[in-house]
Amino acid sequence: MKKIFLFFVLLLCCLPFTAYGLDVPRLEGYVNDYAGMIHSSTKSKLEGALRGFEQSDSTQIVILTIPSLEGENIEEFGIKVAERWKIGHQGKDNGVLFIVSKQERKIRIEVGRGLEGKLTDLMAGRIIDQVIKPKFKQSDFDGGFIAGVSALISATRGEFKAGQRPVQRKQRNFPPFLTFLLFLGIFILILGSLSRILGGIAGALGLPALVYLTALPVGILIVIFLALVGLGAGLFLPSLFFTKGSRGGGYRDHGGGFFFGSGMGGHSIGGGGFSGGGGSFGGGGASGDW
Amino acid sequence: MRKGSFFIKLVLSVFILSALSGCGYNTMQKNEEGVKAAWGDVEATYQRRNDLIPNLVEVVKAYAKHEKETLTAVTEARAKVGAMQVPKNITDDPKAFSQFQEAQAGMSSALSRLMVVVERYPDLKANQNFKDLQHQLEGTENRINVARTRYNKAVEVFNTSIRVFPNNLTNNLLLHLSLKEPFKAEPGAAKAPQVKF
Repeated sequence: MKKIFLFFVLLLCCLPFTAYGLDVPRLEGYVNDYAGMIHSSTKSKLEGALRGFEQSDSTQIVILTIPSLEGENIEEFGIKVAERWKIGHQGKDNGVLFIVSKQERKIRIEVGRGLEGKLTDLMAGRIIDQVIKPKFKQSDFDGGFIAGVSALISATRGEFKAGQRPVQRKQRNFPPFLTFLLFLGIFILILGSLSRILGGIAGALGLPALVYLTALPVGILIVIFLALVGLGAGLFLPSLFFTKGSRGGGYRDHGGGFFFGSGMGGHSIGGGGFSGGGGSFGGGGASGDW
Repeated sequence: MRKGSFFIKLVLSVFILSALSGCGYNTMQKNEEGVKAAWGDVEATYQRRNDLIPNLVEVVKAYAKHEKETLTAVTEARAKVGAMQVPKNITDDPKAFSQFQEAQAGMSSALSRLMVVVERYPDLKANQNFKDLQHQLEGTENRINVARTRYNKAVEVFNTSIRVFPNNLTNNLLLHLSLKEPFKAEPGAAKAPQVKF
């Protein structure tokens, strides 16, 4: 019980630091126009260009406009959004966030780590100063966004190529879990061959410990359930295995499949729609106002 | 007889195995590596700022010859940071850590004074070189902030993980890790110099 509690305490500590200040809006697509600054025809044009660019170069550029920063610093808000949305692909870190706050008249270009070599702070600053600002000053927001996006695209073109999809995170959980499970099975069999009760205890302790070790997100009820399943497995698995010698292998495989299913319950990740690919940001980029 | 001692050994190994799984040994090791990586980022961003200073001083000097005092202060602060010996285990060493933080804070305040002075020179502010440097400096200050916040976060996770039960027992018996130092907020240093046109 204590272990589980501790585990959740540690999990709580790992929550990202986004509990205060302005809320991060939802990521809807390439253009997230919450301030209503972009004409709908311009919006579809921008989205087409950015989708095409992601398909050819895999680099994700996302626009966000907000009505007001509500007193927050645009740099702090920018990194908060970047950490939440995770624009860009994992491993490539090739995301760019183009943020505009209407009321404060502030612009920020947040650059992912993988693009810092091409789109340096200097480059981002020049795009703001020389490309976006002059248009925004004349209240030509559509022109400013189009010019800014095309400058960002030409600055980052060629840095990455579309191609091999990054490995899904979900798949990485399987191998260590299976390895541990195999070890546990053998362990229970050895103990159970000596004494049924010993095998039962090993199963009851082992299965929850294994789930804890592989850090699968399960609640206390599931842990208790797992302990019971482990107890049962420890008590009966060895006897089946040893009394019916040659057919044991099939039983063990069956058991493995069963545990596998229960362990992975509630672990599905909701898909659908547009999302970032897990790119990371280190605070690179530039800010400006108009 | 023989079977009995085998039994005891087995029971013992079960006990040790289950103890190892819950003692937090791996968690603590992982968290310490996290702190180390975050500290590496902090150092790199500060170094980046230090590398920018000579260019900045040169450009400002060309336009603002009368501001010798402010420029000297920046150069001196940079020399002080450069001369500092950063020990390898600085994150465990409160004294070395506060020295590091003090020196970097000195650098920050010297820089922000320079940026205030610059306001009086419109020619300098219009200079493209200076504008570029200003963007780089702003970007670097922002990176420093981000790196510091992430470092503090990593330290918090690590410090918690070595203090809670039962990790503290494992740490006392096996690992002997000590608490890491976080950055303390201080007026002036936590904020990037305000640069306005």
